[in-house]
Amino acid sequence: MIRRSLNTILILLCLSVQASAADANELFNTLRRKIFSVQDYTADVKMKISVKYMRIPQLAGTLYFKSPDKMRLERHGGLSILPRKNINLTIRNLIPAGSATVIDAGQAQIGGKTTRIIKVIPEDDKSDLVLAKIWVDETSMVALRIETATRNEGTLTMDLEYGRYISNGLPDKLLLTLDVKDFRMPKGMTMDYTESRPDEALKDTKGKKGTIQITYLSYKINTGLSDKIFTPEASEP
Amino acid sequence: MKQLLQIELFKIFRRPRTYISFGIVTAITFVIQLAMLTDGKSYMSFALQGVNEQFDIHGNMINGYFITYIILQTLLIQIPLLVALVAGDTLAGEATLGTLRLLLTKPISRNQLILAKFMSSFIYTVLLVIWLAVVALGLSVLIFGRGDMVNIKSDTFILILQNDVLWRYAAAFCFAMLAMTTIASLSILLSVFADNSIGPIISTMGIVVVLTILSNLDLPLFNHIKPYIFTTHMIGWKGFFDDPVPVRQIGISAMVLIVYTVAFAGTTMLVFNKKDIKS
Amino acid sequence: MASPILDVRSLTKSFNHFKAVDDLSFAINKGAVYGFLGQNGAGKSTTMRMLMGLIFPDNGSILINGSSFSNSQRHLLRNIGAIIERPDMYGYLSGWENLKIFAALSGKNIKTNRLHEVIEMVGLKGREKDKVKAYSQGMKQRLGIAIATVHEPDLLILDEPTNGLDPQGIAEIRNLILSLSKDHGKTILVSSHLLHEIEQVATDIIIIHKGKKMIEAPVGELLHPDDTRIEITLQPAPGLQQSINHSGWAQYSPEISDGVLTIKMNPAQIPALNKWLVEQGIEVSGITTQHSFEAYFLNITHETTAADRTV
Repeated sequence: MIRRSLNTILILLCLSVQASAADANELFNTLRRKIFSVQDYTADVKMKISVKYMRIPQLAGTLYFKSPDKMRLERHGGLSILPRKNINLTIRNLIPAGSATVIDAGQAQIGGKTTRIIKVIPEDDKSDLVLAKIWVDETSMVALRIETATRNEGTLTMDLEYGRYISNGLPDKLLLTLDVKDFRMPKGMTMDYTESRPDEALKDTKGKKGTIQITYLSYKINTGLSDKIFTPEASEP
Repeated sequence: MKQLLQIELFKIFRRPRTYISFGIVTAITFVIQLAMLTDGKSYMSFALQGVNEQFDIHGNMINGYFITYIILQTLLIQIPLLVALVAGDTLAGEATLGTLRLLLTKPISRNQLILAKFMSSFIYTVLLVIWLAVVALGLSVLIFGRGDMVNIKSDTFILILQNDVLWRYAAAFCFAMLAMTTIASLSILLSVFADNSIGPIISTMGIVVVLTILSNLDLPLFNHIKPYIFTTHMIGWKGFFDDPVPVRQIGISAMVLIVYTVAFAGTTMLVFNKKDIKS
Repeated sequence: MASPILDVRSLTKSFNHFKAVDDLSFAINKGAVYGFLGQNGAGKSTTMRMLMGLIFPDNGSILINGSSFSNSQRHLLRNIGAIIERPDMYGYLSGWENLKIFAALSGKNIKTNRLHEVIEMVGLKGREKDKVKAYSQGMKQRLGIAIATVHEPDLLILDEPTNGLDPQGIAEIRNLILSLSKDHGKTILVSSHLLHEIEQVATDIIIIHKGKKMIEAPVGELLHPDDTRIEITLQPAPGLQQSINHSGWAQYSPEISDGVLTIKMNPAQIPALNKWLVEQGIEVSGITTQHSFEAYFLNITHETTAADRTV
């Protein structure tokens, strides 16, 4: 009797795990479909880079994106500064594009919202992405946080806030946290006047992490951007 | 006094060497601009190699504002030499010519004469720095265009938006005028001890070079005395290109330079009022 | 009695324990031309530099028109014009520009007409626009005098104004000094090595030697005819010295050496002496009178102590 009960419980457990896995996969695929539906966009943005060795004011400009991996920041006469492999500024490139193993990792609260956590492991061994952990708001079918471990870029964390463009999966605000290295030039070469003072916000990070905050003021989505916009000549004066 | 000042300025600007100074400023500026025109990208790549490992920077980095900042580095050695060339000659040169003797047979007080020489040297210095601003900033912007300005410190990369640059340059050039006035004052002080101008000019440059080396060596032995050396504060103009601008530090530097200038001028007056004119 | 225009009292100056000027006192009256004489290194230029405030005396005082002159009273130089040593000017400027600069610094409002006037007075008309570096030494001297006189000072201090000039130039400067004195009533203190030039222009003489004043007196008092030094070149004759020492000419201290008879007496007695020599069978081949003033100067400056010669 007891054995039969145990067997029943075991079977029910397996079925529920399988069901859960199916749910997680379904959730990931749905999320990914929504994100990938945006082929291109042109956004008016304000960008603030906070890295210990950088002093950069808020930059205003136009951010162009074309899938799968083209991005350019137009500063209208000013300098554009984007992290190397600037594709990391889109959600799209922080989640695996091909086949992946999706694991349900429970739930968590972000900003008062209940999110479902899924872990995504790409099946492609050559992918730079090793593991993506996504906090999904199932109600709106958007990612509120993505934490991606990469082979070359370390761990990237992206926090997102949504507004008018939530239906397209495009955020109003994006905060990317990334690993940064130190920067040094010989003092005799630069002949500094003063010692550098670390940014208050970055004092405790010991220079290991930096952030890029982007505020998206408006979007023009899927307008069929030309590849010419992304050529190096377009970026230079 | 006004007449004396007019005469001193007349003498300075009738000498060919004065215009040679302005010519040299133009030449130095031109050489740097030419170098950056041909090899600016390599320079920038080298300077930004640490940043470029993690960030892509696009746009007109090698613009007029950046080039001007490089040109202003000449304020360390080359411009002080040109200032000393005229200021160091102002008394000693007159002694060599024998005109100091003739000047002092006139009913003008020695203090008035020294003041006139200081003021005329100051005006020359100001005009030289203004000329530097015109050829450095004006020409550089004309050749290289505008854009956001990049300032690279030993451990910091600073970006200044293009609409935030010009006031910084105005302030920097004003500070440079003050720094060069200190050099002029030193030259005039040394000039009062000499009967020919080569001595004061070389001595001024020797002092500036040695103290600049001292100001830049990162040794505990020198770190205690650095705040009191005027060359440490001569580069205060760089503070205007920092973020945030170290206003207090710049204020201290300006005060130190003013104190040195006044001390040099005061000592000159003291010595000159007691000096027997034997030339 | 009017106070002197320049009154120097006990002026003393040492350089590194060397006394260049030693307790020097003299006074210059208005309208006079004072010849300031002394050997090289006697202290003339040092004295003149002190008078102009170029050098500060260790002791003593200088009064200009009765007012004490010091570094804080340089306005008193308004009525003095000076050339100290050679007249050095700005070579890269023209003569006119140099004159204009120093006129502007004279403390008086000098009009352009006056500049033209002095340029003409010193004989530089037509050359005033040339750069001074192209001037000859004589032209520079003349420009120096122009600069010293442009503001019409009451007192002129001229240190070797004929230095480097040819005889014509010397004569021109001499005439200029005389004109400034007689026609314009200027008081002049002039130093020179050319004693006979001083003799021609000076009304008074000051002689200094090793920083000390030897004599200060009107020229007339110094140039007594009886002090004229006469040299007679004659055929050497044995016993002539003895003969002349036993004659009436002995009172004039005659000395015979290397065929030259030197004697100090009034030149009016030369014919008589000549006659006596002929009567003695001595052939006379030449007679020269050494300038009495020069003789006086040489006598004074060859003395070992100043005290023996102070008048």
